[in-house]
Amino acid sequence: MLMRLAIATLWRRRARTALTTAGVAVAAAMLLDMVMLGSGMRESFRGFLEQQDYHLRMTPRGTMPFDSEATIGGATALLARVASDPDVAGVAPVLGGKLFVPRGDSVVSGFALGIAPGIQADYVIAEGREIAAPNETVWNGALLEAAGRRVGDTVRVSAGYDPQLRRFTGARELVIVGRGRFVMLSGGELAGALMLETLQAMGGADRGDRISVALVRVRDGASADSVAARLERSEPQMSAISTEAALRFVDERLGYFRQLAFILASVSLAVGFLLVTTLVTVSVNERIGEIAVLRAIGVARWRIVAQVMVEGVALSTVGAVMGLGLGLVTAKWLNGILASFPGLPAAFDFFLFEPAAAYKALGLLVLCGILAGVWPAWRASTLPIAKTLREEAVA
Amino acid sequence: MMARRRWALLVTALALGSGGAQAQAPWRSITIDERLAARTSLAVGDTAVLAAAAGAPGDTVLIAGITRRTADPSEIARSEYRVRLHLDHLQALTGAGDRVGRFAVQTRDVPGAVDSAAARINALAFGFRAYPAAEVAVETSATFRVVNRFHRAIGVITIVASAIFLLCITLLKVDERRRDVGALRLLGVSRTTIVRAVVLEASLIAVIGSAMGAALGYGAGWIVNWHYQGVYSTPLKFAIVTPGIVLFATALSLGLGVIAGLLAAQRLVRRAPLDLVGR
Repeated sequence: MLMRLAIATLWRRRARTALTTAGVAVAAAMLLDMVMLGSGMRESFRGFLEQQDYHLRMTPRGTMPFDSEATIGGATALLARVASDPDVAGVAPVLGGKLFVPRGDSVVSGFALGIAPGIQADYVIAEGREIAAPNETVWNGALLEAAGRRVGDTVRVSAGYDPQLRRFTGARELVIVGRGRFVMLSGGELAGALMLETLQAMGGADRGDRISVALVRVRDGASADSVAARLERSEPQMSAISTEAALRFVDERLGYFRQLAFILASVSLAVGFLLVTTLVTVSVNERIGEIAVLRAIGVARWRIVAQVMVEGVALSTVGAVMGLGLGLVTAKWLNGILASFPGLPAAFDFFLFEPAAAYKALGLLVLCGILAGVWPAWRASTLPIAKTLREEAVA
Repeated sequence: MMARRRWALLVTALALGSGGAQAQAPWRSITIDERLAARTSLAVGDTAVLAAAAGAPGDTVLIAGITRRTADPSEIARSEYRVRLHLDHLQALTGAGDRVGRFAVQTRDVPGAVDSAAARINALAFGFRAYPAAEVAVETSATFRVVNRFHRAIGVITIVASAIFLLCITLLKVDERRRDVGALRLLGVSRTTIVRAVVLEASLIAVIGSAMGAALGYGAGWIVNWHYQGVYSTPLKFAIVTPGIVLFATALSLGLGVIAGLLAAQRLVRRAPLDLVGR
């Protein structure tokens, strides 16, 4: 009965009901987008790190992985020391470098990753197979396209350029055995992976027995942070960054988006609240006479309150449901814009739909709709009946 | 006597070498950025030990100055500490020999000089490449162009929401006074006058709202700049409210107000006066 009365009241003013619902829907969409943005970056990045299934990243002291060209010497001994830690289950070394590939009269340059094939976590094979010999390589689609090569081709590549002699250095003939999807690289970045020993040898004395990053897998039950602290003490030339520390770093760098998301989400809630309050208040003002009559014939005060509040709830619920669809569409659009951020992995999502968080946010909006009805409902239920009826009759 | 503290500083790849006169013996001089100074409590006149790697023997240097970051967008998200030392000092310390990371070339103040100089250098030299400063600026501001596009998209959503809000409020206000309007119509006031009055009222609301919005924008911009300049230790301005932006926002708001007023008024004047007064 209450619901039917509320719907009838809203239906009587269809244009304003439609407009208010549309307004609430836009506010809900914005709220949903900002909730998705607030948690999306962090969870997306966490997904990338956990996808690698390594819990620590060891880098030259004071640097982030591949943030600079710094490398660590004495890699063999270092890896053996790290692997001997009782809480370490595995270590995967990675060396970063350059790859020069001739194409006609020009040269295509890309990012080279020297990896240990059996335990690498930098790419997944999309075509062909994993590297099995020192003269084999796996490229990503962008490098294959830029160099005009295919899986199965044999190519002559170099790892450096000597400006004094004006020639490329560290040249090798490699067979492209696979196409890989490099999880941590941005969409357009050209990259190829080869065995760590091959890239070290191609780099000459500058790269011999050196690595850029060591990925460390911690045993089940051991604390990554305490292993990181222990490794930093035993290897003072290294920084050991746990997944949580990396997430804190991302939070710091992309904190602006979280703060923007919080502010815009708050504004969206406020807009939704104001819209529903305004509509319900005006609606109550228009029906003062009706409400006084209902009270005069014995309708209980709580029924008046409930009916007015149901109007607010109905508006905000319908708006929230519409906003859910609208929010997912706008999130895709906004994600497309932010996906062009330089240096971010291609599959990185700024907007991540997490059902629990999304429904909580929309639930908050519906709660705002309930609260929005409280004041006008209270006002309606406490009207002096005789005075209101007399004033309405005179009017 | 000046207090002298000794700190071990690790020279990373971000240490910058620069040309210039050599400092007087016994110590070479360096400058550090204010974040590093705050972190290590180093001050001008203190000494520190600079080494190319942790644990390696280093040089004792004199802190000759503390630098502040320039308003460079590309520097914003970088959290490294910056140490500046004389070029030959950095070369000796890192064993880089007679090597540099980059040259800055000043061209003559002639139209087209930059591009032609860059083209000539690239045609002649091997092993490095010359980039016009404008090209470098475009490359380094890529992040901010993306943020700018994102802000514009958020702006479009906000405008849609504002338009709906304004139309809704105008409609409610007009509906609320339908009896007054009905009475005016019965007294002989024309439809056109009613429409004009409603449009004028909606426009006034839009203009007053714009003025309040501009004031709020100035205030919010000040808070945003104060907050983020502190967070990123930069004099860069993150939010600027220009007269052009205020004019655009006011014009947009006025346009929306007029449209909202027209739509609301049309709904009202289509009804018969007696219907409006409830008879």
